[in-house]
Order: sequence, then C-alpha cells, then structure tokens
Amino acid sequence: MAEYTRANAWNNDGTFDNPDLLWYAKGVGAMQARELSDPSSWWFFAAIHGEYVSETDFPGWGFLPAPPPVPTSPLPSQGDQDQYWDQCQHQSWYFPPWHRGYLLALEAQIRADVISLGGPATWALPYWNYFGPGQEFNIPPAFTQQTLPDGSPNPLFVTARYGPAGDGSIFVPIPPVNQGCMSNNLYTGNDAATPPPGFGGPATGFSHGGGTSGNLESNPHNLVHVYVGGNAPDGQTYGLMSDPGLAGLDPIFYLHHANIDRMWAAWNANSSDTNPTDPNWLNGPAAVGEREFVMPWPGGGPWVYTPQQMNSLNQLNYTYDDLPVPAPVSAEDMLAKRLTRLGVAAAAPRAREGAAVIPGKKVELVGANQGALAITSSGALTTVKLDTGVRRKVSASLALASPTAHPDRVFLNLENVRGTHDASVLSVYINLPEGANPSDHPELLAGTVGLFGLRRASLTDGRHGGEGLNFVLEITRIFDTLHLDNALHVDSLPVRIVSDQPVPEQAEITVGRVSIYRQGQ
Amino acid sequence: MIYDPRELARVRNPVLLLSAAAWIWLLADPGGLMMQAHCAAAGSGGLPLRASLPMLLAMNPPASLAAGWGLMLVAMMSPALILPIGHLRLRSFKRRRARATLLFVAGYAAIWMAAGGVLLAGALAAGWLAPNSYLPAVGVILLAIVWQLSPVKQRCLNRCHAHTELAAFGVAADLDALRFGASHGVWCAGSCWALMLSSMLLPRGHVVAMAIVAVLTFSERLEHPKPPRWRWRGLGKVSRIAAAQARIRLQVLQRKVLPT
Repeated sequence: MAEYTRANAWNNDGTFDNPDLLWYAKGVGAMQARELSDPSSWWFFAAIHGEYVSETDFPGWGFLPAPPPVPTSPLPSQGDQDQYWDQCQHQSWYFPPWHRGYLLALEAQIRADVISLGGPATWALPYWNYFGPGQEFNIPPAFTQQTLPDGSPNPLFVTARYGPAGDGSIFVPIPPVNQGCMSNNLYTGNDAATPPPGFGGPATGFSHGGGTSGNLESNPHNLVHVYVGGNAPDGQTYGLMSDPGLAGLDPIFYLHHANIDRMWAAWNANSSDTNPTDPNWLNGPAAVGEREFVMPWPGGGPWVYTPQQMNSLNQLNYTYDDLPVPAPVSAEDMLAKRLTRLGVAAAAPRAREGAAVIPGKKVELVGANQGALAITSSGALTTVKLDTGVRRKVSASLALASPTAHPDRVFLNLENVRGTHDASVLSVYINLPEGANPSDHPELLAGTVGLFGLRRASLTDGRHGGEGLNFVLEITRIFDTLHLDNALHVDSLPVRIVSDQPVPEQAEITVGRVSIYRQGQ
Repeated sequence: MIYDPRELARVRNPVLLLSAAAWIWLLADPGGLMMQAHCAAAGSGGLPLRASLPMLLAMNPPASLAAGWGLMLVAMMSPALILPIGHLRLRSFKRRRARATLLFVAGYAAIWMAAGGVLLAGALAAGWLAPNSYLPAVGVILLAIVWQLSPVKQRCLNRCHAHTELAAFGVAADLDALRFGASHGVWCAGSCWALMLSSMLLPRGHVVAMAIVAVLTFSERLEHPKPPRWRWRGLGKVSRIAAAQARIRLQVLQRKVLPT
C-alpha cells in the first residue's frame, strides 16, 4: 500500500473545500516567501525546469506581471545554477521520467512546508484531469480566486494565465486535446498503433528543448501548456504556462504534470505497454556523458536520480486514486483495419489473427515545399511538390497491399519550426479545397500542434543550435483516402496551416520546410 | 522527424573506416606526405635565411602540401561529419543522396583547403624564420589556450550543430548542400584553427599532437551547444562517456556473475 495518494483536484468541486488544494496553496505560499537563491524556494524550483532570470525583456522574469512577484535576485552561485537550473527534458524519451522526479522533489518540499504549517503528513499533489466528466476541462476554481478563505492573497492565483481565447477563461479545449497517445503500444519507435516517435519520445541525450516531441508530450502535454498559458490581451506577450522558461512559476503547472504522470502510469498499467530497457534510458543522460538529473531535497543534499528509479509507481511509494487501464490496441488489429479500409477485406482477418506485423523500415522523402514558410495571422499556405517516382512507389504499395505486403505509411513533417512566440497552436490540413473552411473538413486535418518550447529551441546558442522544433504528423489515412478516390496521381499537394489565434507580427514563426515521407518495405 | 536509423549507420561505418585508413596512412607516411604538410616548422635548419626560402619552397611543393593537408583532414575531421551528412541524406531524395553528399563534402573541403593555405603558409614562415624552434609553437599554443577558453570558440562550436532546412529539388537542393558544407566548414575551421596550427608548428611529434587534437576536437563536438562564456573545453565528454559506460558494463557484469 502506497503511503501517498495523488487525488483529483476537482474533488469538492475544485474549490478550497478540497483540503489538497488548500494545503497546496499554503505550501506554495511558504515557498514563494523564500529568496530565489534558496533551493527550497518556489522560484528556484521553477528555474530547475527552465528560466529567463537574466533576460532584459519579456519573457525575462523581471518583466512578468504580478502576482506572483517574480524575483530576479539574489542569484544562487554559478555552480548551483549549472547543477540544477534549466534541466527540463523535452522532445526526448527522458520527458516522462525527468518530470516524475521533478514532481516528487517539489511534492516533498511542499509536504515539508505543509507539515510545518500543521497540515497532514501524507499530503500529496492533486492532479488536474481535464479529460474528466462534467466541467473538469475547466481549471479548478481554487486557481482563479484572488484570496484564500481566510482573506489572504491566494498563491495559486496568477495574472499571466490567459487561456485559449486570451480572455482569462482557463480551460482545455477537447478536442483538439485528446488521449490518443494512450492507444500507443511503443514507448520509443512506431508501428501501426503508434505514430512516431512513440508514446514516451525519441531516443536522445540530455534534451532541454528542440527536436520532436513524443506522443504523450505532444498531445495532451504541449497543447495544454499553450492553451492554459494563452496570449495576453495586449497581443504581444503570453502566459507563464506557454513557455518552458516560465511554466514552473505557475502553480497549475504541477497539477497538469501530475496528470501527465498519471497517464504514463496508466499506460504502464497495461502489461504490454512497457518502458525502455535500453541502458541509455535506464541510466539517464549521465550514461552518455551528459548532465545527471538532480533535485534539491528537503533536509538533505542533492538528490540524483535515473529513469530506472522512476520506472514504476510501486517503487516510489505513491499512487493515484484513479488509474484507468487503457484497452490494449495491437498493431495487428490496426493493420487489419487498414487493409479492410483499402479493400483487402478477404485477407484482413489473417492479419488480425496474429500474422506477424513487420513494419516497413525504409524511410524515404516523397516531396517537399520550396523555401521557408512564414506563419502570419491568417496562417500559411504552401505546396508540397511530390517526386513522381516515389509517389508512384506509395501508390503501388497501396494498390498491392496485403497482409504480407504492408502498405506504406505516410508522414508530414514540419521541419525547423522557429520563432519567439510559444503560445501558438497550429492546425495542418492537406489538400484543402481552395476557399474551403478548414473546420468543415476534419477528414483533411493532419494534426494540431502546440509550439511549447519554440523560443528556446530557436535560440542560436541554445542546446540544439537553433534548429527549432520538428513535428511529425501521420497522414496515412489521408493518403489512403486519396488513393481510394483515385486522387493520388498528382504532382503536388497543398498544405494549409491555420493558427487558432492571430500570430503577432514580432513572433516571426517560420516553418523551415514542409515535407512528406513514406515508410515502407 | 521520422528517420531510418540504418541510414545513419550507412554513413557512420564507412566514414569511420575512411578516417582510420587515413590515420594508418599518416602514421606509416609512405610518401612523406605528413612530413611535407606538417613539418614545415622544422624548416631547413642551418641554412641562411635568403638561401633557405627557395629551398623550403622547393622542398614543399604546393601539390604535395595540399595532398598531405587533405589526407590529414580526412583523418581528423571526417568523424565530425557523420551527423551533418546523415542529416543531409535523410532530407534528400534517395536518388540525390550521393550527389548531395559530394556537394556537402566539396563545400566543406573548399573552406578547409583555403584555411589550410593560410595555416601552412604560417607554418612555413615560422619554419623559415625560426627553424627547429619550439618558440612559435609555444606562442600559438598559448593563443590556442585562450581561444579554447573563449566565448567566440563556443559560438563556433554551437554553429557546428546547426542542422538547418534543405531544399529537395533541382539547383536549389544542390546549392543548399554546397552551402551547408561550406558553412559547416567555416564554423569547424573557426573552432579548430588554433589547435591545428599549434600541432603543425611543433618541430617534432606532429602525428601524436595531431592525434591529441583530433580526440579533443571530436570530444568537444560531442558536447551540446552552450551559452557562450569563458570556460574550459576539453576531453570532458569523451572521458565522461568512457567512465559512465565502464560503470554500466561493470554493473551488467556483476549482475551476470552475482545473480540475486
């Protein structure tokens, strides 16, 4: 029996009648009362995730609207900064385990403060399950109150939290936010049931932003961040949750991540959904000569941990009050369904009965647009020119598909996405008729992506040399439909990118290249 | 980005083999190329300056110098090209991969050959003015240490990690491959020039010095980009990897030998 149980923040209607939330608020208040240089302060913990303490303009910490009043001094020693700050793992297979350890450390610190304030010794972080019933897609009301029940300022209240419409109404729009990743069956990699780069993320070294997000990270994690943070009414700045260098300052961050952690635990609860056994994952980035994961721990020295230690809740003495086990989805079933869709009905049952699914491994460029694409307020439109020979190869694989000759899978890449405005959500449509309203054509939607981490990934001297973010969207279903409609014999395909909110001019969001790849035998 | 990990292996294995072959050639030095290209500092000691200059040039014909320099580049720098060439090939049509790789290498080599002209001229001049002296080497080593610690060096290293977007079709794709190679060469030369020159100026022990520089440059290239500031950059990454992997293998061995 675990000693600590994380419970739904919407218990007792998500108000301060929920003792988990009331004590969380008091604990946050205690941490916020400490100085930036103190490893047990709220600010220090936020900087562990990511920080802009020294920036001379927004999103510098000195340019954020209060509350909370974010300090930029006194700075800890350079050694402490190098050891602890700017650690968060994104676009990486370390995303789930690093954040699990981060939550544990923050939770331990809050619990220590809760106990010192006379609270329960078993206090645990609540989670915000935006997929829950009724109104639970809304932020728990305790986060929107300016004062605690005793009339003192509410440490959970944040000014720079603007929501999807930028009007201060904080909720998670479902869809496009969804739990589709829970049907993945590979942590890293891809198959018929798992789009690349897999549930947990791509194999990387220490990855503080830049590259391609895993499926759990992409949706719901990234989208929830940018929807909750949102754009400020001034149209220039954005909310704390929208940017990894600010996100840890907002108390809702940790409830969002408790839910992401809960989803990982629920995914693992399905016995076929296992974490990597690669020593480079188990031992963390220190195994390849990079920074180790380390947190301050109340009453102790630095706590160093590895993904192996984060592998399951059982070994960590905590659990969740609700861990719904996702229904198993097999790659064989997904292939059988696809073959049926492609008209290979007679053969499909063989695939379902367990014919080994041998995913095609060859990856090949099918086509690309020409030149970088600027995203403006009205979005962007480009044309992906297709290589005739490779396009024919895709067509042939679809036409000759069988349980032994698997049809190609097709992916659209947004490569080298750069810019300065993380609070952006882009929806990508393929082959949308001219003048058509995108929302009338959900069948042509390749995917919706949140640009959480865009700014940091675009810094020339950032950890990925300014490569920006990459997104890979599976468009196999759209290609199947084109094939069935005899509409695949084309030299190019239009790709339209729509932003859910006007993109500020100074955001300078560009997509370096839009490309289409095939993966086949 | 979806990619085929085997494609990276297809680049890595032949490049490492090529580098190893070039090292073997340099160490054996059957045609004296290494001496030609990198022992310029030894000069023509003992001869009067005016007489030694023509002799020095006669002893070091440009074609031999270029060949020796090229061979050394293959040995030292090719492992650092595995990732950018992999990036290039993954973003190119299959039928264009070989051509794109050649253009990238041409762009990269052009920059390094031009840099080699300057560095070799410097080494020849040092050998002419101070034959068999360690003084020029010591001076440049001090400069190399300052460069090694500097924020400018970090900027160069950071830009070596810039794997940018590339056109897929036609002349634009060719130009992008060439440009990618050239820009990579610029930042690579900017990062490594001082270390290279230091080892070239040594009157003796060039090959050992070049091998040390090769390990150092490869190690620092393995590091992620960092904020530019004064700091030591050296063999940290390689030694950390070696230590961590040794520890992991030891743990695996212990588990096998001492099962619980």
